[in-house]
Amino acid sequence: MSDAHAANRREDLRLITGRGRYTADMNLSGQLYACFLRADRAHAEIKAIDVKSALARPGVVAVLTGADAVAAQYTQFPNLMTFAGRNGAQILKPERPVLASGKVRYVGEAVAMVVAESALAAQDALEAIEIEYRDLGAVIAMADALAPGAPQLHANVPGNLCFEWETGDAAAVEQAFVKAAHITRLKVITTRVAPSPMEPRACLVSYVAASDSYDVYTPSQGINMLRKQFSMLTGIPEERLRVHTHDVGGSFGQRSGVYPEHGAQMIAAKRLGRPIKWVSTRAEGFMSDAHGRGIEIAGELALDRDGKFLAARYDFLCDMGAYLTPTGSISHLRNPATLMTGVYRTPALYGSFKVVLTNAVPVAAYRGAGRPDIAYAVERLVDRAADEMKIERTELRRRNFIPPEAFPYKTPTVGVYEPSNFAGCLDQALKAADWAGFERRRAEAAQRGRLRGMGLSTIIEATGAGVFPKDQVAIEVDAQGKLTVFTVSLSSGQGHETTFAAVVADTLGVPHAMVSLHECDPQKVLIGNHTGGSRSMAGAGSVCKLAAQKLIEQAKPFAAEALELEPSQVDYSGGAFRSRDGEKMIKFEELAKKLAGRQPHPMNTLAEATVGSTWPNGCHIAEVEVDPDTGVTEIAAYTAVDDCGVVINHSIVEGQVHGGVAQGAGQIFGEHVMYDHASGQLLTGSFMDYGMPRAGLVRNIHVGDHPLPSKLNALGAKGVGESGCTASLPALANAMTDALRPAGVGHLDMPYTPSKVWHALQTAKG
Amino acid sequence: MFEFNYLKAKSVSDVTAFVAAHPDAKLLAGGMTLIPTLKQRLARPSHLVDIGGLPELGGLEVKDGQLVIGAATTHFEVASSAVVEKSIPALAMLAEHIGDPQVRNRGTLGGSVANNDPAADYPSAVLALDATIVTNRREIAAADYFQGMFATALEDGEIIMRLRFPVPQRAVYEKFPHPASGYAMAGVFIATTGNAVRVAVTGAASGVFRWTEAEAALAKKMHSAALDGLKLDESDMNEDIHATREYRANLVRVMAKRAVQKLLAA
Repeated sequence: MSDAHAANRREDLRLITGRGRYTADMNLSGQLYACFLRADRAHAEIKAIDVKSALARPGVVAVLTGADAVAAQYTQFPNLMTFAGRNGAQILKPERPVLASGKVRYVGEAVAMVVAESALAAQDALEAIEIEYRDLGAVIAMADALAPGAPQLHANVPGNLCFEWETGDAAAVEQAFVKAAHITRLKVITTRVAPSPMEPRACLVSYVAASDSYDVYTPSQGINMLRKQFSMLTGIPEERLRVHTHDVGGSFGQRSGVYPEHGAQMIAAKRLGRPIKWVSTRAEGFMSDAHGRGIEIAGELALDRDGKFLAARYDFLCDMGAYLTPTGSISHLRNPATLMTGVYRTPALYGSFKVVLTNAVPVAAYRGAGRPDIAYAVERLVDRAADEMKIERTELRRRNFIPPEAFPYKTPTVGVYEPSNFAGCLDQALKAADWAGFERRRAEAAQRGRLRGMGLSTIIEATGAGVFPKDQVAIEVDAQGKLTVFTVSLSSGQGHETTFAAVVADTLGVPHAMVSLHECDPQKVLIGNHTGGSRSMAGAGSVCKLAAQKLIEQAKPFAAEALELEPSQVDYSGGAFRSRDGEKMIKFEELAKKLAGRQPHPMNTLAEATVGSTWPNGCHIAEVEVDPDTGVTEIAAYTAVDDCGVVINHSIVEGQVHGGVAQGAGQIFGEHVMYDHASGQLLTGSFMDYGMPRAGLVRNIHVGDHPLPSKLNALGAKGVGESGCTASLPALANAMTDALRPAGVGHLDMPYTPSKVWHALQTAKG
Repeated sequence: MFEFNYLKAKSVSDVTAFVAAHPDAKLLAGGMTLIPTLKQRLARPSHLVDIGGLPELGGLEVKDGQLVIGAATTHFEVASSAVVEKSIPALAMLAEHIGDPQVRNRGTLGGSVANNDPAADYPSAVLALDATIVTNRREIAAADYFQGMFATALEDGEIIMRLRFPVPQRAVYEKFPHPASGYAMAGVFIATTGNAVRVAVTGAASGVFRWTEAEAALAKKMHSAALDGLKLDESDMNEDIHATREYRANLVRVMAKRAVQKLLAA
């Protein structure tokens, strides 16, 4: 192991001293500024738009509307659904012109774009655009959208139902339910949330007439995925689209897709022949950045009299908002379907899914993307079953864990789990959290008038298999022997500069400082996947290792020449090429310098691999204390034990878990996008009303590793990006249920706001 | 934001003359409410007249048993002042819990009192301590000053110069912060002088108010149990997506009880 594994994040100094380079920092000479007029109502017909007086405003160069979007044929957004639904039906894809045409369907939808010499001039002119609307009824709740006679959002989506799908064996499940000694039922909601990364959305587009091509500067999760989507939206071939992303301040899945603003700016950049820049405000973000989650799940679990699971079925309603994003529908179906059995052996499974449109902001993948939702449903259901059957919670889990000898385990739905040790993770977490000593802490809290509860979750995830067929990594060596690693996968907080460099440095046995990372260079045309689905370390990271290994083999003949040996007599270890007998050696750096005269450098290399899903898993335990006088909850302790495979750098794993748990805790205790159901107006449009978590929410967190190397990639990594979200939703909710149960409170839906908890306690008092 | 002209004021008399001549001008102190309002294009002043640095609006001293604080004093200055800590520590504590460090270093006492946001912290202290609001024209008693949501006795062109807080025997402030905004969802300031007890409540209703039933009960017996079962009209409370009237009324009771317990423990 080299020095690289204990390294602090090398990107931190740059990022926390204001030297990051974000899209808003990019400027091109002659650029114009865009500003968007957004729908102020949830559902309305656009009777007329008059832009004449806006065009006459000082500094205004152009005003684009839905007519321009339709003329450019930028109306069909990509949707990455890969399978057919019930009776072979394809998902119904509503048209989505990049500027609304004919109708607006959610508050915040872009209706017109003003382009002006300054951002201020563009903003001023927005107010001069006159729109005549005819209001239509809005639907916010999925039940309302599906009700007979509900207002219809799109002519080609009857009943506001885009897609129906089922998985598993309905008949087998039905049979098992008939025989069951006990059936537990629970309906849960994972609320609609606004991801709100620190960096607002932004985009700068320039059109190059000579090559009829575009440069698009925008935050992303990796340029390839976005370039492909730009091409799908616009019909422009990928080779004429260059996407540029430097630093990104958080992505969370919200940046996985193309947005209408991208397309509108491309139209304007070509028409006007000048670059077009736009930077979103936070207020626009709340009403136009893709939201996350928004799933209602009705779960049923059948058990025999010993608490063995016989069957489970889940009925999903997935709220997609007013249009389909590229990622939202597939991730909210495929991931829950794959993980429907959780970490348990459940002989029969059945899931049914409805994808529903409502007059709200479109929903995309959000950290975990369906995985936290199914883990939440399964783990709440298991806890409830334990309570109803009077079987201790960890004991019920142990009776049903998929045992170590059952791997690779083919689930009754679609997944094949790789080897995992669920009981081992549980034991490690129980010990670290002092599970056994909890009742003493509960009693001590009761003396202080507090309701203390403890909850756990044992979870598994399937990491993203990737949209592209393989991941490529290039390494270039310079005249000093320094290495630059090129990847497609892009960090937006994951610390790739530190960890990917560590993988290469460790494989080569050279100092960490010799290796630097260059992500998403549009000049380097590499095939590969974006950052998402916790896959970067298993995907790009493992190919970094393969590239370093390939580099060694490629360099051996040159080392042999330098050492005056046959290539077969050269070994590599400890950062040097050596003769078999140990008599001769040349260090990596020396050989690299020696070969510096040749162009390209003979040690430059490119490696690739196809890396599918891995299966991170773990056990999280939360301990909470509720103040019954105010309903305020404090997270008293939090223990996370994760099997993320081989750990490259523990502090980065810990940081990922902290962030994920904080996001999960944010959703459990405060975050909730709320609309007025009658008008469709957004009620949580700023941080004054949207309960974003603060740093103090999760203060006492212990992160333990339980690394079981994956055999599915060269590095042995499983991934850790999303486990914090996936495990914390159920662990915290189970802890809350445990805290409130003695006071007579049953299941509550998230978020556990002080007001909701206090009211529940009052109601229980009677 | 719309375009506006910015002026740095040199004296209060200059300001009053300028504002009289420019009815669409706005005074800018810390700007903690005004600037977000401008950014949302909800206001379109012709001029912003910056009174933040005016020496006439500065100063912080105890004089004749009263703590006198200049209107342009920032929350940070109040929170960290040894003079405030010695005379009315509850006021320092109140200032320390307003917003975040950025807000505390920009926002001012005068700005908060002039704005009279129903969820602001300072109005509860001003009312419970029976402070006097000194303007460029007159002195206004706290009881006459607050007139409901964002409404005050200030007239056009009237500028708060300083506030005079009578130093009480004991005072305490207990706040329940709004889970999203951090503003007071219920804030209770209790001050005692001799036999008199004053209890002012912010955040819960349309404006700061005195809970006279609590004052009477606590004057008889300074104990948290004295508040049990006291009348508190829930129908006056705010109700929104974050909290019902009942919950806000409960918070007022709980914060008041905790304030009394702190007062007795001090």
